[in-house]
Amino acid sequence: MDPFEMQERKREARRRLRAQREKAGELRGRVVAISLVCFAMLWGIVFVQMATGHDPVLGNPSSTVAQRNGGADRRPARANVTEAGASTDSEEPSSGEEELETSELEGEPVEEEFVEPEVETEPEPEFVESEPEPEPAPVITSQS
Amino acid sequence: MSREAHRTFECFGGTATVHVRGADIGSGEVAADEARSQLLDAHRRLSRFREESELTHLNRDPRDEVPASLLLRRLAAAVATAGSRSGGLVDATLLDNIERAGYRHSLEGPGPFSLAEALSSHPQRAPAQPHPSRLWRSIGVDEGGGTIIRPPGVQIDSGGIAKGLVADLVGDALREHRTYAVDCCGDIRIGGCAGQERTVRVDDPFGGDPVHELKLRDGAVATSGIGRRCWVGADGAAAHHILDPCSGEPAFTGVVQATALAPSALLAEVYAKAALLSGPEHAAEWLPHGGVVIRDDGSVDVVAAERSLGQLTVAS
Repeated sequence: MDPFEMQERKREARRRLRAQREKAGELRGRVVAISLVCFAMLWGIVFVQMATGHDPVLGNPSSTVAQRNGGADRRPARANVTEAGASTDSEEPSSGEEELETSELEGEPVEEEFVEPEVETEPEPEFVESEPEPEPAPVITSQS
Repeated sequence: MSREAHRTFECFGGTATVHVRGADIGSGEVAADEARSQLLDAHRRLSRFREESELTHLNRDPRDEVPASLLLRRLAAAVATAGSRSGGLVDATLLDNIERAGYRHSLEGPGPFSLAEALSSHPQRAPAQPHPSRLWRSIGVDEGGGTIIRPPGVQIDSGGIAKGLVADLVGDALREHRTYAVDCCGDIRIGGCAGQERTVRVDDPFGGDPVHELKLRDGAVATSGIGRRCWVGADGAAAHHILDPCSGEPAFTGVVQATALAPSALLAEVYAKAALLSGPEHAAEWLPHGGVVIRDDGSVDVVAAERSLGQLTVAS
C-alpha cells in the first residue's frame, strides 16, 4: 500500500481512538462528579438529622423513653432534673444503659476510644540518576 | 541512552538526511530506514523530470478532474496554500516559464558559474510581483472523490513545495521518537518527544562558513536561494530556478538567500521563497517566525520572531 495513504489511515485511526478516549473520559468524569454530589448530599442529610437530634436509628425517642421509664414521658423528667440543678450531680446514672440514655437525650455523640490505625509505610523509592540524552546532531539548512 | 540513527542519500535532486533517535537503537535505525524509503518514494512520484511519475501524468492529463493519490492531492493542496499564503509570490504553476527559461532537466551539482558571477551578469534589481492570472487559484482537491481539479494545461512544478511537504509528512511519522530531523535538501522538519533543542546552521551561499546558528526544538526551517540550480540562459547570461511570477524570468531582487522558520517545513519554504522574491526592503515582512536574509553584498540580516509559536523555540 502507498506509505503516505497508510500513514494517513494510521493518523485517522489515532484521531478516532483519541476522540473515543476523550468521550469515555468525559463520561467517566460526569459519573464521578454525580456520584460525589450524591454522596455529599446523602451525608449532608445524615449530618443534619444527627445534628438536630433526629437520628432515625433510634426511632421515636418518646417511645424508647416510655419503655425504659415505665411509661413516664422522658423529656419532662429530664427537664425536671435540669431545673433542679443541684440534684443533677447526685443523680448519676448507675448503669451503662442510663448513661447512654442521657447522652442520647442531650444529642451529644458517644465518645469512643480512638485507635489510630497502623499505617504501613512504603519504603522510599530509590532515585537512580538517569544518563542525560546526548545532544541531537546539528543540521545545515542550505539552498535547495 | 541510544544514539541517533543517520541516513544521508540523494533525493529530490539534492542531498537528504534523516536523523532519528528512538527509545532504543533498533527502533531508531528502523525508523530512519522507513523515512528514507518514504522520501525516495515521494521523489519518484513527485518529480517532474521522470516520465513515469504521478506528477508528470497529472500535468499531461487532458481531463479537468484527475484521480490522484493522497500524496499528489496533498501537493496540489500545498500549491494552492503556497499561493494564498504568499499573495501569489510563490507560484508553482509556472512550469512552462521555467522550462522556457531553460530548466528542463534535473540540475545537480555545482552550476556553470559562481554566485558572484551570476550577480554581476544581472546588474538590475527589482522585487518580484505575483502573476496577474494567479493560476494557482484554479487548483482544487476533492478529498471525497480522491481527485485533483484544475483546468487542463495548468501544470504543477513540485520544486521546493514538494520538499517542504514531504519533510512534514515524514516528520509526522517520526514524531513519537525521542528526537528526529528530516532534512529534505534544505527544508528541515525538527521535533521529537524528548523536546531537545537541535542546532541548525545556516549555510553561506558564497561558500564560506555557516553565517548563523538557530536552535529549534519543534518546528521547521527552510532556505531558498539563487546560488544553486543555475544555468546559462538563451541570452548567455546566468539564469536560476527562482522565477519572478509576473515576468516569468529568473528573479534578481537583491536577496541571494533567505532562511525562514515556521511551524511546518511547507510554510517555512513558502516564507523563505516569498522573502527572497520580495527583495531586501520587504524580506523581513515574510518572516513572522524569524529567519536570516543574505543580500547580494553578503551582508546578513537576522530577523527576530514577531510571533511566539508555543513549542517552537528559536534562539540565535
